[in-house]
Amino acid sequence: MCLIVAIAALWPILPGTNSLAFVPALSPFVAIASLLGTRTFHALTWLGLTVGVVTLVRHRFFCRWICPVGLCVDGVSRFGRRLGRRPMRVPLLGRWIVWLTIGGALVGYPFLLWLDPLAIFANVPFLVRQSSRLGIWLPATGFLAIIVLSIIWPRVWCERICPLGAFQDLLLLLRRSFHSIITVKGKIEKKSNVDSIIARRTVLGIAAGVASAWVAGPVRAKTSSPLRPPGARDESQFAGVCTRCGNCLRVCPSRIIDRDVGQNGWAKLFTPVLNFASDYCREDCIRCTEVCPSGALSRLSLEEKTGIQIGLPEVDMNVCLLGDDRECSVCKRWCPYGAIRYVFSETQYTLKPQIDPQKCTGCGACEAVCPTTPQKAIVVLPNPIH
Amino acid sequence: MNESMNRRDCLRMFGFSGLTAGLGVISTRQLFGQEVGESSGFQSSIIATHEVQSNRGGAVIIDGKVIQPRRELPILDKTDVLVVGGGPAGVVAAIAAKRAGVNVTLVERYGHFGGLWTGGLVLLVIGHIVKGGKQVCQGIGEEIMRRLDKLDGAIINRTAGNNPTVDAEAVKYVMVEMIEEAGVKVFLHCWGVDAVIDGNIVRGVVFESKSGRQAILADVVIDATGDGDIFAAAGATFEHRSHNVGLVSRIGNLDRVDKEKVSGQPKPKHLGSPTPVAGINWVNMHGPEVDGLDVATLTRMEMNHRKFIWNNMQKTRQIPGYEHVYLVETAPQLGVRITRVLDGLKTVTLEDLKAGTKFPDVVGVGGSEKGDHGEWQIPYGALVPVKTDNVLAAGRCICAELRMADLVRLIPNCFVTGHAAGVAGAVAVKDTCRPRDVDINKVRKILRQQEAYLG
Repeated sequence: MCLIVAIAALWPILPGTNSLAFVPALSPFVAIASLLGTRTFHALTWLGLTVGVVTLVRHRFFCRWICPVGLCVDGVSRFGRRLGRRPMRVPLLGRWIVWLTIGGALVGYPFLLWLDPLAIFANVPFLVRQSSRLGIWLPATGFLAIIVLSIIWPRVWCERICPLGAFQDLLLLLRRSFHSIITVKGKIEKKSNVDSIIARRTVLGIAAGVASAWVAGPVRAKTSSPLRPPGARDESQFAGVCTRCGNCLRVCPSRIIDRDVGQNGWAKLFTPVLNFASDYCREDCIRCTEVCPSGALSRLSLEEKTGIQIGLPEVDMNVCLLGDDRECSVCKRWCPYGAIRYVFSETQYTLKPQIDPQKCTGCGACEAVCPTTPQKAIVVLPNPIH
Repeated sequence: MNESMNRRDCLRMFGFSGLTAGLGVISTRQLFGQEVGESSGFQSSIIATHEVQSNRGGAVIIDGKVIQPRRELPILDKTDVLVVGGGPAGVVAAIAAKRAGVNVTLVERYGHFGGLWTGGLVLLVIGHIVKGGKQVCQGIGEEIMRRLDKLDGAIINRTAGNNPTVDAEAVKYVMVEMIEEAGVKVFLHCWGVDAVIDGNIVRGVVFESKSGRQAILADVVIDATGDGDIFAAAGATFEHRSHNVGLVSRIGNLDRVDKEKVSGQPKPKHLGSPTPVAGINWVNMHGPEVDGLDVATLTRMEMNHRKFIWNNMQKTRQIPGYEHVYLVETAPQLGVRITRVLDGLKTVTLEDLKAGTKFPDVVGVGGSEKGDHGEWQIPYGALVPVKTDNVLAAGRCICAELRMADLVRLIPNCFVTGHAAGVAGAVAVKDTCRPRDVDINKVRKILRQQEAYLG
């Protein structure tokens, strides 16, 4: 079974398929945290919820039989044991990750969602496909870190740190406490002591999550907003809800989705940003919105997408060929929405591209085709945060 | 002849010796005058006295309306293929048709060939390349460029993937040379004003010139007027568009700009780009978007642009370092970009360009400004009017959608459509069929023989 999943996961290496897009969506942790965070059902939420229900019945079934990270960790842990390494005794960090994230999700910012193992794993196949860009191979080092960690301290990831594993443990505890409420009360006194500790920690963790997400809110709002794929959630939420799984990058046919590699602050590291240097957001494509496991990109229809403005282009007339009386009409010709007009200025006695903000979607076609080098004369800039 | 030569030589020698001796008795102007007027030593001579203009229009006012009566027009010429307009499209069309083996007459409203390329001083040739720098403009257009290569100071930047800049006088010269070599009959200073029609069929064209109103009859007429004057007069439907109308100029002494004074300063606008002549730049102008068919508008454009160019030059000369820069000339011809566009059997569209559509009747491949697009094919149907017969469009007025206007009008693309129209016209004459019924494979075969690139 693991093998099948692993093969399925490696499928995208073969051209023309995108089955990997569903892997991060299998995580019930991502499904529930993003459900709480965004308060909406997304296209792929059901996948995670279904897996969640299965794990309620069969505890850690997922880790043993489906999780590709679990498979790899098992393998290298065995190797680590052979080297004589022993698991490190660390507190159950995974539970704290879950509590903090759920807490954050309650105020719309599930900030440790990116630690989900499936999201981390989803970055690996990129290494095979397009490894030249920093933003492509850097996130894959997360998986490498888990592997190294598991060699040094066998199974410490799965048992102690993995939020997905911890989430399943907590689901089990939840089920048991329900049972104890339904069945005879106080029958197992020793357990209730443990339960109360867990309950206290849960409340504490969630409260900490709420508090930190709430406190950091105004700070987040102030940071600059990069260009996001269409359907992106509000910038104040985006970096929290995004799992950094890279699904959107992978399915984008024009490969305009790049990774933030720290240009917009550490909180937004590895989130998807748009780069129109060589291509643009196609008018007939909504693929990135279809594969987002957490709803950081909400699903759009083609019609809805046309109504969304990614950003607005600005023209630097010191660079634009028209400012130098040169014949150029490339951006006007390429604009899929007919949003660019060239207007003659009586004072400058030159043409200037004018963008109709009502028609412009910020798709970046103008920027992609602008012939000036090295600097493009027309550049799409993100809309100011409301 | 001998006698006059002797006299001329004599005078020249006399003039020269006179000047060197410092006598200054005979001015050079007198010398020149006698040299040209070969008759009687006067500067002019009488052809006829008290002549009554025979070829008059005879317009009269009837009930306050100006009425032009019916009258017979003298037939200036009868030919197989008549090309109206001597710009890049018309010249190539005429040479192509003549080389394909039919009689060709070319008429041009100005005194030179090249149209906006020379008369409009649009010296930068853009549009011959596609993505990757491949050159798609071949055939007679490329032959013109190769001839320019051989001339001294005729063309610069003729390297792969770059857009060359030409000297307008060199182009005018090369075109005269090629037209004469091909054996095309030419009438300059002839403005095509009307079509001679027979129902839907064009039989010739009416011209206005200093010789009055005359007609040329032809089996096929190629409308390379740019404005579609002839197909419009023949009743073919078209789209009437506005575009930017500007006036190009050339400025000089840029090699005398003081580099020390201007370093660190922002470069003034409207300084243009280099030409084959050292120190001289050509300065493009877009101008406002107007109707290029409205004579009042054209007049306003000329005058406004002229004022701007002069005043802007005075401003530039105030800038330290640019004191010696001066206005060499404004273009004789106003830069009208697009006016009428034919309603053709097929339309050149941006969608086809993006999709790289291949047409079975492709007669040429178009390029883009800086190779911004891939190859886009021009179907023969884009040159053929929907209904009207015996007339083909060539140049910027071929059937293309609005978004393609800025590609179709580029000089190399006008070469390409001109080449196609010329060959198709010749084939129609030879096979005695309507241009819309020509054997397209035959046309394509001859185009290939004439080294055109068809994808």
